[in-house]
Amino acid sequence: MVELLEALARGLGRGSIYALLALGFVIIFKATRVVSFAQPAFMLAGTVMVTYFIGTLGFWGALVAATALTALLALGVERAAVRPMVGKPPFVVAIITLGVDVAVRVVVNGYIGNDVRPMHDPWGLKAFDIGGITVQQRHVVIFVTAAIIVAALFAFFRYSRMGLAMRAASYDQEAALAQGVSVGAVFAVSWAMAGGLAAVAGTFAAAGESVDHLMWLTALVALPVIILGGLDSLAGAVVGGLIVGIVFEVTALYQKDMPWLGGNVSVISPYVVMLLVLLVRPYGLFGTREVERV
Amino acid sequence: MKKLAALTLVAALGLSACRGAETTTDSGGIKTDIGVTKEACPEAIDKTKGCIYLGIISDLTVGPFKALAVPITDAQKAFWKRVNQNGGIGGYEVDVTKYIRDNKYTPATHKEVYDEIKSNILALAQTLGSPTTAAIITDLKNNSVVAAPASWTSAWAFEDVIIESGANYCMESMNTLDYAVEKYKTKSVLSIHYAGDYGDDAAAGAKFGAEKLGLTFSHLKTDAGQDKQAGAIAEIVSKKPDLVILTTGPTEVATIVGGAYLGGYRGRFIGTSPSWNAALLQTAAGPALTALFEQSVPWNSWSTNSTGHTAMRNALTGKAPSEGYTAGWVWSYPLKAALEKAAANKDLTRAGLLAAVKSLESVDYEGMLPAGSGNFKAGAAGQFKSTGIYKVDPAGPTGVSQVKDLFTGPTAAAYKMEGACYLKL
Repeated sequence: MVELLEALARGLGRGSIYALLALGFVIIFKATRVVSFAQPAFMLAGTVMVTYFIGTLGFWGALVAATALTALLALGVERAAVRPMVGKPPFVVAIITLGVDVAVRVVVNGYIGNDVRPMHDPWGLKAFDIGGITVQQRHVVIFVTAAIIVAALFAFFRYSRMGLAMRAASYDQEAALAQGVSVGAVFAVSWAMAGGLAAVAGTFAAAGESVDHLMWLTALVALPVIILGGLDSLAGAVVGGLIVGIVFEVTALYQKDMPWLGGNVSVISPYVVMLLVLLVRPYGLFGTREVERV
Repeated sequence: MKKLAALTLVAALGLSACRGAETTTDSGGIKTDIGVTKEACPEAIDKTKGCIYLGIISDLTVGPFKALAVPITDAQKAFWKRVNQNGGIGGYEVDVTKYIRDNKYTPATHKEVYDEIKSNILALAQTLGSPTTAAIITDLKNNSVVAAPASWTSAWAFEDVIIESGANYCMESMNTLDYAVEKYKTKSVLSIHYAGDYGDDAAAGAKFGAEKLGLTFSHLKTDAGQDKQAGAIAEIVSKKPDLVILTTGPTEVATIVGGAYLGGYRGRFIGTSPSWNAALLQTAAGPALTALFEQSVPWNSWSTNSTGHTAMRNALTGKAPSEGYTAGWVWSYPLKAALEKAAANKDLTRAGLLAAVKSLESVDYEGMLPAGSGNFKAGAAGQFKSTGIYKVDPAGPTGVSQVKDLFTGPTAAAYKMEGACYLKL
């Protein structure tokens, strides 16, 4: 039981990272109807920035600076590579984001260098002992930070002018445009927010660990998360992220009892969960069901 | 008429491409064919000498072994520069800079870049990775292209064209077990490893060694990436083996050792040679690594006092110490010995070089490996089987210091190589 509770705590920490990553994907998708494959590169870029800034700015200062700079980077990419493709099929834009991902990662890899880059975060591998249950401090911090960010995001979309404009544009771009919403600005803010979220997620994914050039692969787990939660659902991204994180850790805990499943089966657990959910809910847990006239 | 002319041109080009290089004999009476020119090397020291071109295919940008591959490649450039400074080989200098390619640690890319350069090189000074090299091994054999691997899989013992150095992963694991049983009275071992002939080879060696030594053995395949090690950590924490052999990359090592330590595991970890990187000491897992981790190695480290090590350090003055340099330097000796023998035989063709390799009874590693190492004439029976053990030491130039000098344990000594170990896992 203790082991299970510890796995749940780790799962919430892991799931919080997936939720932040998935939110970035969903925000861009809602605004542009495109799945951006550049998110892994933004995640890596932001995380590497933190490793450079942390010595002078401290962890939180470095995180804020890296988040802002990654948001600016994403904004620049949107303006230079994506905006000119407005009106083109989403598939074309998605392929462009793939190219952006590779290009940005190659540049960032140069800053990682040959060795791994230590994160030097304040928590490392320290843990709380709560009634005999070991809970890593980094997982608590990740969960709380993610909760604050998610609450702020939901408030932003509900109460701010830009948030409302983004929601309007996500329903119907032409109607929003007719009502005076700057759809271009919505695109730009969406990319910037997604870039910032990726930077925060990557930084916490590397907390207690280090950064190497394979770290971008972590962001790919957000893909089954967004399919599971629903491509256009912010709540789905959060719930999906937490579900996948918990399933991952619980599977890892018990996979030794299921040797017939093969080796590191926890790695495929996000995709199995996604498939199971899609069998009963083809649009994900919270995705909008598309109504098509035939 | 135009169509006929075009077809004729295409046919002519095709025939010339298929023909291959002609064998010629130089003024010194040495036969040459592919990858050897009368013209000087691009960075020649003596412009009157011809050039032997060697290719390098390594993991230089985005693959998991970049941290080792870049210094390996730099060391090989320095090694062959030293050869040229000492007069070259058979009236030729050696170039390893013109045909360097990045494999991204992907077999398909490895094959692609090999195809790009193969018609211009005599041999490969480096082909990094086991699965990547497997993608070109048939072509290497068909065209008699000798290659120095940057990997230690046991499969190379059965390939004439591959001139490996140091004990393979399979032997390394057997020696590790002999060491652990002697020092820690180990009774159970868990092998955590990548899939493929890097990780599987080490796990197979551990399995064989455990059977011979009467130990409890289990193994778990894991994946690259620090976010994918939860299963490995859970396995270690729940099974609590006396010894865990890690055959992964460095980042996974830090995650696994740190995570298992946090979970209460206090047994021993011994990682195979490529699993260590001194930068891990700066991570949160640094204290756990210092307490629990040791590294098995195929040769002694950067700071060792031997003629070869000293020459290496002198050639790489100003570089931050890295065992990648040591590896690149050591791996170059057999090809140098083979080229010297081929030149002495007056045959620097590909076939001549391969014949020279097959006749090598030993290679002079200038003390970096013991005398008698590099018996390629004996084939698999001539395999070098010694391993050293190092512990994590923040004061060491590469973050480690020697615990046990190169040794061949009784298990590895008695093991008869009859095929690649990883096939028996």
